[in-house]
Amino acid sequence: MRPIERDLLRFKEIVRGEVRKRVREFLTREELFGQMEGRLVSIPLPQLELPKIVYGEPWGEGLGLGGAGSEGLGPGGHVPVAELELEEFLDLVGEALRLPRLRPKGEGEVTEEAFRHTTIARKGPRGLRHVRRTLKESLKRSLLTGEYRPEDPLLVPEREDLRYKAPRSRPRPHAQAVVLFALDVSGSMREEELRLVKTLSFWITLWIRRHFPRLERRYLLHDAEAWEVSEEEFFRAREGGGTRLSSALLLAEEILKGYPEAFYNRYLYHFSDGENWQGDTPLALEALRRLLPGLALYGYAQVQGPYGQGRFLEEVQEELGRQEGLATAEVRGKEDLPLALRRLLGG
Amino acid sequence: MREELRSWAEKLRERALAAGLSFPPVLFEEVGPEEMAMLAAYGGFPHRYPHWRWGSEYLRYRETYRYGLGRIYELVVNTHPVHAYLLRGNTLLAQKLVMAHVYAHADFFQNNLAFRPIPKDMLDEMGHHAAYVKKAMERHGARSVEEFLDMALSLENLIDPHAPYIQRPQEAEEEERPRERLRVRPYLDPYVNPPPEPPKEAEEGARPRPLPPKPTRDVLGFLAQHAPLAPWQKGILEIVREESLYYVPQAATKILNEGWATYWHTRLLLPLLSPEEAVEFAELQAGLLASPGLNPYRLGYLLLKEVEERWDKGRFGPEYEALPLGEKLRYERPVGEGLKKLFQVRIVHTDLSFLEEFLTPEFALRRNLVAPEELPRFAEAKRTLLFRLTNAGYPIVELRDANYANRGELFLEHAYEGMELDLKKAKAVLENLHRLWGRPVHLKTVVGGKEALLSAGA
Repeated sequence: MRPIERDLLRFKEIVRGEVRKRVREFLTREELFGQMEGRLVSIPLPQLELPKIVYGEPWGEGLGLGGAGSEGLGPGGHVPVAELELEEFLDLVGEALRLPRLRPKGEGEVTEEAFRHTTIARKGPRGLRHVRRTLKESLKRSLLTGEYRPEDPLLVPEREDLRYKAPRSRPRPHAQAVVLFALDVSGSMREEELRLVKTLSFWITLWIRRHFPRLERRYLLHDAEAWEVSEEEFFRAREGGGTRLSSALLLAEEILKGYPEAFYNRYLYHFSDGENWQGDTPLALEALRRLLPGLALYGYAQVQGPYGQGRFLEEVQEELGRQEGLATAEVRGKEDLPLALRRLLGG
Repeated sequence: MREELRSWAEKLRERALAAGLSFPPVLFEEVGPEEMAMLAAYGGFPHRYPHWRWGSEYLRYRETYRYGLGRIYELVVNTHPVHAYLLRGNTLLAQKLVMAHVYAHADFFQNNLAFRPIPKDMLDEMGHHAAYVKKAMERHGARSVEEFLDMALSLENLIDPHAPYIQRPQEAEEEERPRERLRVRPYLDPYVNPPPEPPKEAEEGARPRPLPPKPTRDVLGFLAQHAPLAPWQKGILEIVREESLYYVPQAATKILNEGWATYWHTRLLLPLLSPEEAVEFAELQAGLLASPGLNPYRLGYLLLKEVEERWDKGRFGPEYEALPLGEKLRYERPVGEGLKKLFQVRIVHTDLSFLEEFLTPEFALRRNLVAPEELPRFAEAKRTLLFRLTNAGYPIVELRDANYANRGELFLEHAYEGMELDLKKAKAVLENLHRLWGRPVHLKTVVGGKEALLSAGA
């Protein structure tokens, strides 16, 4: 191994150690949430920066004489930030929280596409040169530079014209998944509880997507009735009337018809304070009995505020506790998040 | 290296020498992006001691390249011979530009006064340092050495950047050198070469010797001499100090050095370009000069062009200096001393003195760096820029007393000049200092406009 690779490994080892140590803190860091669409996660790890005696304030801007940042021929100054690939970061979080691996269910197997040369690249081995595309580029160039003469249409490809067949960078898993989030907005969900829901659904989404890159997401709200909303709307708190937990389950059942069990790993998550209309609970349990066999997981998270008296969690556990695919958790505050996340993912 | 490149290297070398540059042999090597990232992380050298921070830098350069956010075209190392690395896969023109650029850097390393005391065999030195640290790791455990390095590196800017230029007085050394011993039979030795008399108590009391004798910025050097550490730990402090000192002149001449190299690659290459190459050259040049912020290539280049023009057109001397701004812009007295002046500038200046002297309002106006209505703010902006270049942008910290309050405590003082320290980091550094020194340490500075004493271990 080259010495620099050894230094890199050591650095990554230190970063991993820090992430593991501080994973609970990362769980609730909302500024991370925005970054997760990209490939790299910047992790604020001030511990990893070697402290030095430096000035506290940033330098003032100086007219056209120069502000911050510069680029040029050689290497620039250093900005120590730990960046991790999203997958690596998630694996670390998963490892530290002991999140379970999700297994594709039924026939929605992970089949990998054959390694086929389906794209075009500017570099490659001679044997894979794509003649037609190369000539096309050559033609384009000679037209642009005015070298092309129709009476003598000879094309001499230059280096920059060469095109090669290239493999797709990554074989894509075929397994697909759909996740439905249902949120009870009937009464006592406050800002704080809503934040817990947001955090949980964020990490659940990431973790499922880690296993099923082709993931579709749907969001439901309900009080006595259920309706579908966009992702942004889902997290906007509001208060409604009474509660019928069954309404969400019935709507979910309806939506899931569009995602046949044979092709999709279907996940349903339900967040509620657990208070339900009398008489609705049997209906909800009935709906659950129908739903469960076709789901990869039904996760029920009872998010209780200070006045929470909900009993749905107990009722579900009494009636369906033994059923496979049922995951329940009770969340009273931030400190419950790591365990709740593990439970809700079936761990 | 490709034959074509080699012949261009030779051709450019001849042109550079003919134009008046002087430099030691330059070894060019083409390397791939990963190797370039490695060399950049290692500060230009193929071997450094094992430490995770190189890994962190390496990762950053590699990813920056991989995601197309930037590439390192060139790396030059101040050694003898000069080692220069070119990024493989660049166009021939880009390589030509870089090679011309590199010759000018080599000339700068050889001629600029700031580089004079810097050892030219750093390649070997870095190798020795790496071997030393590896050996220490084998003997004392990789983790404990790494931890010690972390501490030492947090002090790496606590050096005296002028140390290599200081001529130590001769007497001081003589005082410490043991008297010459006469060679005699062993049994006669105590009589012929008696041990030095212990100082009398009265004398000792009369001349308390302060430690350090004078306040010093060389905190690392002081610790390596006086801190209660194991020999390998002192060795590591010396290594960190020496490597830190090596990079001082490069940091202190960044703008001048890059400006110089840009000036020369332009001058050497322009006459050789074919029309097609001229377009590509313009693009490369624009990429180099146009990037925003404090761009040392652009600022250095523009300033050198300004110096050349001024000394060609006689815009210097007391008569010129006395003119009001508007007339200065129009003044002309052809004397053609531009190039001569440039060669002088490259010998004597660092960024600080270079900008202090030539970054004038006339220049800023002529190059559209400021609008006329911004002129009143020019002096302030210049002052900020100069402050930022002072001591590489680090606060100046002196060790004043190693026996503070007569209790063997360290007392440091920050030379406050209007800008306060990052307290959190300063405290972390003090913690490290405390661990090294074993006794409480204090740093006098200014917090919230008032004098304050930060302490660790007290």
